[in-house]
Amino acid sequence: MSSILRPRTAGLAAALVAATAAVAVAQQPAPGSAAFAPEVGAMAPDFTLPGATRYGLLQKPVKLSELRGQTVVLAFFPKARTKG
Amino acid sequence: METYRDQYVTLFNNGMKVVVLGVSTDADTTLNNWARESSFPNLFASDPDQTVAKLYGSADGKLDTRNVFVIGPDGRIAARMMKFNVLSADAFAELGKDVTATLPPPKGGSH
Repeated sequence: MSSILRPRTAGLAAALVAATAAVAVAQQPAPGSAAFAPEVGAMAPDFTLPGATRYGLLQKPVKLSELRGQTVVLAFFPKARTKG
Repeated sequence: METYRDQYVTLFNNGMKVVVLGVSTDADTTLNNWARESSFPNLFASDPDQTVAKLYGSADGKLDTRNVFVIGPDGRIAARMMKFNVLSADAFAELGKDVTATLPPPKGGSH
């Protein structure tokens, strides 16, 4: 009996190892995903982006480091005209 | 951004010493039009290729995740709320608290 079972068990073990490896690969955080978000206490990464308000487009782009001395609430959202 | 607008005075000190900056992949013209139509008081920035979203771990495929970072006057991350629930009054109350904690105490006091 055991001589029949052994190869099967070995096959199952190999499949398990392969499955675990696949899960490990799948769990690698995607670039830009939450795993890369700066932690509390870290310097906020600087950036420069074109800005807009309800009055129009800003002539000068928004540069985060130029807002030093004020609190900045940086709110990412998926799409204009979505509720929230 | 409607709740940000409606609670701008209480949560964000009416924009005094606080800059609310909404970032999405939309074009700046789209953000401008939307802000005008909805009378949003805050600033917006256009990040079409998600350069900044990626820098902040807030890119979910081709769109940005609703993550909110409170950056103190010193330029450090004071608080962060991942997958911010814009339908939750509690989430906004907490955000308001996080913002207030970065502001200098009100002058005068009661004595």
